[in-house]
Amino acid sequence: MESDEEDFVFFGTPIEREEDITSRKKKSIAEASGQLRTLAPWKQEVRDEEGRRRFHGAFSGGFSAGYYNTVGSKEGWTPQTFTSSRKNRAEFKQQDLSNFLDDDEKAELEGNSLGTSMKFDTFGFTAADMARKQVEKEQNERPSAIPGPAPDEIVVPATDPIGVKLMLKMGWRRGHSIKSSKTSSLYDARREARKAFLALSEDAKAHAAGPAHADMDDTMETSSELLTDGVSQLHKTTPVYVLNPKQDMYGLGYDPFKGAPEFRDNKRSHLPGNKVSGQKSQPSKKDGLFSFKSRNVAPGFGIGALEELDAEDEDVYASNYDFETFVEEIEEPAKLAIEDKKKTTVKQHGILPGFKPATNSDFQLERFDPPVVPKDFVPRHKFPTTPEATPKMTELPPKEVPPPEDNNLKVLIEGVATLVARCGPLFEELSREKHQSNPMFDFLNNGNGHDYYKRKVWEARQKHGDKVKPLFKEKVITQDINTQRKMTAESRGNILGEKALERSVVKDVPVPVPVPVTVTETVNLQFHLSDTFTEPASFVEPTEVTKPFQHDTAKQERFEQYMKEKYHGGLRTKDAGGSSKMSESARARERLEFEAAAEAVTLGKWGSQSQSQSQPSGQQILGVPGGRGLQFTSGGSEACSSSSIIINKKLEVNRGEEVMKKSMFPKREEFQWRPVSILCKRFDLIDPYLGKPPPPPRSRSKLDSLIFMPDYIKAATKDEKTNANLPISQLDDILEDNVEVENVERPVDLYKAIFSDDSDDDMASLNITQSESEDPTKKIEAAANSTLSRLVAGDFLESLGKELGLEVPPEYQPPPIQKPKSTLPETPQVSQSQPQNHEKKDTKVERKGSDSEEERERDRKRSKRHRSRNRSGSESDEYRDRNSSRRKERKKDRSSHGKHRKRESERKSRRDEERDYGDGKREKRKWRD
Amino acid sequence: MSTEDLPKNEAQVLKGHEGAVLTARFNKDGNYCLTGGKDRTIRLWNPHRGIHIKTYKSHGREVRDVHVTADNSKICSCGGDRQVFYWDVSTGRVIRKFRGHDSEVNAVKFNEYSSVVVSAGYDRSVRAWDCRSHSTEPIQIIDTFLDSVMSVCLTKTEIIAGSVDGTVRTFDIRMGRELSDDLGQPVNCISLSNDGNCVLASCLDSTLRLLDRTSGELLQEYKGHTCKSFKMDCCLSNSDAYVVGGSEDGRLFFWDLVDASVVSSFRAHSSVYEFGKLEDHNAAIEACAFNVCFVESCEQDWFPFFLEVKYMYH
Repeated sequence: MESDEEDFVFFGTPIEREEDITSRKKKSIAEASGQLRTLAPWKQEVRDEEGRRRFHGAFSGGFSAGYYNTVGSKEGWTPQTFTSSRKNRAEFKQQDLSNFLDDDEKAELEGNSLGTSMKFDTFGFTAADMARKQVEKEQNERPSAIPGPAPDEIVVPATDPIGVKLMLKMGWRRGHSIKSSKTSSLYDARREARKAFLALSEDAKAHAAGPAHADMDDTMETSSELLTDGVSQLHKTTPVYVLNPKQDMYGLGYDPFKGAPEFRDNKRSHLPGNKVSGQKSQPSKKDGLFSFKSRNVAPGFGIGALEELDAEDEDVYASNYDFETFVEEIEEPAKLAIEDKKKTTVKQHGILPGFKPATNSDFQLERFDPPVVPKDFVPRHKFPTTPEATPKMTELPPKEVPPPEDNNLKVLIEGVATLVARCGPLFEELSREKHQSNPMFDFLNNGNGHDYYKRKVWEARQKHGDKVKPLFKEKVITQDINTQRKMTAESRGNILGEKALERSVVKDVPVPVPVPVTVTETVNLQFHLSDTFTEPASFVEPTEVTKPFQHDTAKQERFEQYMKEKYHGGLRTKDAGGSSKMSESARARERLEFEAAAEAVTLGKWGSQSQSQSQPSGQQILGVPGGRGLQFTSGGSEACSSSSIIINKKLEVNRGEEVMKKSMFPKREEFQWRPVSILCKRFDLIDPYLGKPPPPPRSRSKLDSLIFMPDYIKAATKDEKTNANLPISQLDDILEDNVEVENVERPVDLYKAIFSDDSDDDMASLNITQSESEDPTKKIEAAANSTLSRLVAGDFLESLGKELGLEVPPEYQPPPIQKPKSTLPETPQVSQSQPQNHEKKDTKVERKGSDSEEERERDRKRSKRHRSRNRSGSESDEYRDRNSSRRKERKKDRSSHGKHRKRESERKSRRDEERDYGDGKREKRKWRD
Repeated sequence: MSTEDLPKNEAQVLKGHEGAVLTARFNKDGNYCLTGGKDRTIRLWNPHRGIHIKTYKSHGREVRDVHVTADNSKICSCGGDRQVFYWDVSTGRVIRKFRGHDSEVNAVKFNEYSSVVVSAGYDRSVRAWDCRSHSTEPIQIIDTFLDSVMSVCLTKTEIIAGSVDGTVRTFDIRMGRELSDDLGQPVNCISLSNDGNCVLASCLDSTLRLLDRTSGELLQEYKGHTCKSFKMDCCLSNSDAYVVGGSEDGRLFFWDLVDASVVSSFRAHSSVYEFGKLEDHNAAIEACAFNVCFVESCEQDWFPFFLEVKYMYH
């Protein structure tokens, strides 16, 4: 076969047989899906998608191309994106009309070719093109000395491109950069970040000393920064190319001052028509300085980068033609020139070059006199808060007027005048309104004694001018913004919207009462608000109220509130004179106290006002250190005796309280607390309760925390607990003795029918004696639960049953074997209701229980506990026992609430008492723990 | 450290907060300082050079407390948004947000191994949060408090918290018991002595009280400052020789530990309130405040402006 085939020449692709293809395909699919056993890489064959063996070409190894038929190499596998050359083999080349045209034909065509209009020449390309063409044309017409096309750099567009024009119109100037603010801000941000970074590193000083070191550390940052530094310089200005016209007769590139550059400037300044010689000299000098070296070095010849320059190294080729100078002259940035110009101008104080400062000048600085104040001008300026600040001083004193005959009127006028002097005209207005109908106050409305009043006001003002003002200021200042120091913490906090911490501890009560978080905020807030935002006149009065209750801020606040209300009338808040948490009697007592204190304060105030202007106050005896702005610091002993007595009394009382408190606090209590095991783990401690059963979940229901248990119930429930754990069979004989069934008439079976699981529960509870392995507490709990629900529904169902007139359905009859007292099967009503009701009855039972019974119970309990310990280890743990019973008790308590409505009222009153005592919650908690 | 060595004026003013500064805490070695404030940011500073390094933004309300781990890698913070944030210091990202407090969170602390964050809140509870697991549920809730819990301190084995109900409660994890010391006055801030034997409690009756932790006895009372309605920090100096506390009038008070006399006091802030925190690092004292200048406009508006953290050491 093989030899035969060699003799023939084949054309086209042979037709393959069907089954061949399919089998191959199958194989390839199977291989692809990894169904075939994978061979070692070098044994595998490379196949195409048709399943044929792939041929790699003769030169690349035939059928065994690559590294053992893999695409890898000995060194490893290097993937490469493969693009087939089959599909895009020959690039399709764009053909153009011009490819097929002769030169003359092209020239012909050029006449009517399309070109961009100069109008829309944004970048000036077209203009440049045109210029170039123009040059070329000229060149063709008269061949110049320099053959070949002109270089692009030389050819400059004749007109400004439209873009430049637009920019110029928008205010751009040549030489300035078009800098976007965005980039700069980015740079700034980067710079900031770098600064912060530098700050972070502790050896920042070292950084500062050696910036190179810093660069090593954060190459990225610094390099970019350096770059930006450089760029930012460049950014500011783009170079404007200044073309220096050739003005000498030397050959192109010849520099006569090559050996002596310092002469160049000299020469230039002497050039005729060079107006800007002064300016030019500077840059060229500079140029000469830093390009000195480079001038001698020809590009690309002779010297290595690191070699020193020597006379011998001078390039022979560069000796005559110094391209460098030429280029530099052209490319010299205008910015330098501008800068230098600035420098020079600064140096010469704005004198134009070529000018000299004049020795004498006609120029005179014109001075204007301040405007003349008219003679009749009264500098009046009204301030709403500080009324007597300036105008009073300029006021002319009213005439001296004899006092009115009426002595009462005189006293009144004097009093009002002093007050007005102290409190400002607002007070006057207020009192005017207040006493409009009162004829005694006519003097306020230009009536009788008005002149005298005016005079008195003026006098008072003059008299206390200095004294009053600081005092007044101090009061007003709490509102005044310039004096933030005088602000109290409260007012500031209020302004900032901060809530002051509330005291939950009431001081008047010796035992701290737990008060919920919500306290009478509104009162405080109101007070503070009025504190800060009322007008001065109304403001003065509460501040003048001295503080007899300084030791107790809450009380003081209440007192102030009271005073304010007293003075202004107005609406009284509902709980005025006492916080809502106080009892009625305490509130009344406090009210009395306040009244007394207020009287004392007012007396003291009036008395003191007649004597001196400073505010003497007996309250200063209290002398709380650090009395601040609002309080009056001057001490006076001549306070009214009554006030000081009252206050001293109060003080004594409070001292007593304090002593009591000191003896009481701090009070230490200890409770059991159970940390979660994971907490112990995280704190790397051993769980103290390791292996013990988890505590019962604390019930956080509202009811739970609301019910306060009276003591007698607690006692009862404690006893009950012992009872509850007893096997019910034993209980029965106790019950037998002293239970008069309280609610026989209650259709127990009605709810039994509804709460069908009750019977099961009962069954279970009855079964306890037999099934010793069961946890008794659990059952009892369940039973308690059911009783609870039953009792809650009790009243409702009773009435329902009565209304509907339902018949009592026949009871479930427990099998007589299970009943310990099998002698009583025939009395269904009573005996059946007994086991159901015993749960709630035993409360009663215990209350009545005699000593002997208790003893019996204890015995039973002991024995039972003993048994339970033997029975099963952890389940009937004491801990659990206690807790479950505790829970049950609570429920019991609740149930009893539901049931005994009649008793509710008495109990309620008792509970109220307890709440007044105030420690219900705590009591309960202690007990719980 | 003698009395003369006590700081007398500020060493540096850290400006940058756009609102009241509510807390400032040094890191363990005292090189950096974290502040949190009403502008809902936490800021990291180099207080010695007065440089602001980083700002942590994510809180929805004011930041009330912040604490940093011993290795300076993590921050926990809390505030008015009822959440406890667990941050990565370098990236500034929030690693976890612990939700569960029913109200504002007043204080937050890491435990010794930085594995647990303990927070105290206005909802009368102290909650412990696990940083190691991905759970955002508290691993323990302590809710025996009767009122807002203001401050919390941790030792190796105990959680100590002070509450407005007037108690300082110590939860001993090793013993499994709770000790409640009733001071009869709302407790504002608590601070442990460096030897761990005493706890200093700042009460709202303008008194600092020093309690013996083992017996619960009142060792000393420090008075003279004003603290009636705001939370202000208090602490003991490194040598336990002095007691430091802030006053509502913007002053910082130093008391002698033993005889409770005011050794030194100076105006640290021109306004209301401040925290003092003495750090274990060369007696640097940090005090922060919101220093408010009220700018008056014509319409008698009030602008709280120009806020700064003050920081001082001798």
